[in-house]
Amino acid sequence: MSQEFILMNSAVLNATAISPTKKLPGDMAMWFFILAELSVFAIFFMGFAVAEHLNATMFVQSKAQVHPIAGLINTLALITSSYFVAFSVQALHKNNTKKSVHYIFYALFFAVVYIVVKVWEYTTLFDQGITIETNTFFTLYFLITFFHLMHVLLGMVILIYIAMNAKKGRYSQIDISNNIVEASQINSKNTISGFESGACYWHMVDLLWIILFPLIYVI
Amino acid sequence: MLLRTWFILIVLTIISVLLAEYFNLALSQKTVFIIVVMLIVALKGQQIIDIFMELNHAPRKWRLLLMSYVIIIPSVITIIYTW
Repeated sequence: MSQEFILMNSAVLNATAISPTKKLPGDMAMWFFILAELSVFAIFFMGFAVAEHLNATMFVQSKAQVHPIAGLINTLALITSSYFVAFSVQALHKNNTKKSVHYIFYALFFAVVYIVVKVWEYTTLFDQGITIETNTFFTLYFLITFFHLMHVLLGMVILIYIAMNAKKGRYSQIDISNNIVEASQINSKNTISGFESGACYWHMVDLLWIILFPLIYVI
Repeated sequence: MLLRTWFILIVLTIISVLLAEYFNLALSQKTVFIIVVMLIVALKGQQIIDIFMELNHAPRKWRLLLMSYVIIIPSVITIIYTW
């Protein structure tokens, strides 16, 4: 491949794909997936709010049986987890793969905290004889929180996958400072786009919980 | 910047829980309480979208799309609860 072609591609990269301004992090496909997920949860949120509006007394009584401290711990755990994922992306932007992988593992630790608390919460409710069939509140409570839990688990799998790929050196920030990049870098998927996609999925899981938490535990 | 966002999110979460404790004593103020809690949700959402997701550096349409989610959903929830 000629030097001229490489320089031309570099100019294109400068202008668009890896421009430091106005760049959508991650892959476009992941963002459409995120939008689809947000839409599904939006229906759940509305459904829950309408059901509470129609059964106010029963919802107030049932909400007294869930554990707000467990919800609070889970919120703090997911926020902290998201914080470490964001740090991990920043580290990768600086080509510091080792630090980036470490931060992902810190994020995974807090995700495990979330799961442990959630399992404790479910177990405590089951011990009290409360199940998905108890009433409308608990049907929605178990449906929505379990659906969210599945997203946490999928998010963890994605985080482990991107951490393993990062460790193998599959993500690296292309240095375009001198306008000369390797042809293999231009044409391959050797960027951090995949890593950013995984990170944004995790932030979406956090974003959903930010709405879910007050809906179930606070209001 | 990330640490500041983390701190804001933690503080806002704790504030909403403390407000719940306070408003349990004064149910008549529930409408105000729900509006405040949903405002907190929108604020937290904005922090996650702009700083954690880095959409403050993304094309404007994408940022607006995500921001509309954390504005519309809490607004609709507020309307349903306070109807």
